[in-house]
Amino acid sequence: MKTKLLLALLVGSLAATAHAQVKVEDAIKWRQSAYATMGWSMGRIKANIDGTYNKDEVIKSANVIQAIANSGMGALYVPGSDKGKGWVDTRVKPELFTDGPKVGKIATEFNQAANELAKVAATGDAAAVKAAFGKLGASCKSCHDDYRTKQ
Amino acid sequence: MNSKRILLWDLPTRLFHWLLALAVVALVVTGKVGGNLIDWHGKVGLAVVGLIVFRVVWGLVGSTYARFCQFFPTPARISAYLKGEWRGHGHNPLGALSVFGLLAVLTVQLLTGLVANDDIAFVGPLYELVGRDLSNLATGWHKLSVNMLIVLVILHLAAIMFYAHVKKDNLVKPMVRGWKEVPSGESAQGGGMLSLVLAIVFALVAVYAASGRWLPEPPPPPPAAVQTPAW
Repeated sequence: MKTKLLLALLVGSLAATAHAQVKVEDAIKWRQSAYATMGWSMGRIKANIDGTYNKDEVIKSANVIQAIANSGMGALYVPGSDKGKGWVDTRVKPELFTDGPKVGKIATEFNQAANELAKVAATGDAAAVKAAFGKLGASCKSCHDDYRTKQ
Repeated sequence: MNSKRILLWDLPTRLFHWLLALAVVALVVTGKVGGNLIDWHGKVGLAVVGLIVFRVVWGLVGSTYARFCQFFPTPARISAYLKGEWRGHGHNPLGALSVFGLLAVLTVQLLTGLVANDDIAFVGPLYELVGRDLSNLATGWHKLSVNMLIVLVILHLAAIMFYAHVKKDNLVKPMVRGWKEVPSGESAQGGGMLSLVLAIVFALVAVYAASGRWLPEPPPPPPAAVQTPAW
């Protein structure tokens, strides 16, 4: 019992340290991985909209996006991570770190769009999924347009 | 008043012009709005490939005032125009600069757009040919050079307003009706059915090439024996 408690404490404190000190490189890697995974899911949903519609596959993909969107990714934009390399060089613009309310508005719209997509995906209504997918894509774009450097 | 009516812009040139105007507006709007409209952006872009190739061929084999050699803006012509010594019809030497400028910027937009991606779920039809890195680069150019396009279109409209109000010369009417009242000059010649068919064939071939339909199909799904794992 004592060992278990100790172990729990140890794990807890390790997790706390990890949380307190997210390395810039890790933060950027996690960001990039999260966006890449959402990209995979968006591509899957589009393939289902354009081709044969498979309800299960769309549900899985929409749930992935919803989960990531609601994971609190804002925490990965740690100070100093406006520049640096994760898997590749980050393309975030420094304005993302200074435009607080505007970024928050885009992020909120994104979350709502992701939630909506997951909701309609569950119904299997392809037309509604297409509309929600378009809205979600537009919210992706609004952030890309404003807070991502062109290459 | 000793004026006569000449055919200035042949019907294919006029159709090209108004279809292109419509398409450019549609492209800028769909490109800026995004969302599901990005699919239309891709389709209209393909149509514009056809329009531009048509116009380039028509600039070689079309009727008089549509031909590039007729209005190619050489330095001599430009300086003559600026001194007020130009007496031609159709695109004046400065307007010709704008024509070639628009054609060039649109060509850049088409070439980059065909291989672009939006990092969401859309890729241009020839994306597979260049891969991710080059595609990202092309996408960056695509988004920058659209500003040049918008500037040229505004300049184009401003010049038309200037001609209408200051020089009392309505440039829009001939582009709609084809003919223009002029003191002297000849009607456009050439650009017959054979030329038209040639230009259309080139345009269709270009659209097919740009559509990527000829690209090898993605590998077929694995045979049913190899089941997608349940996880």
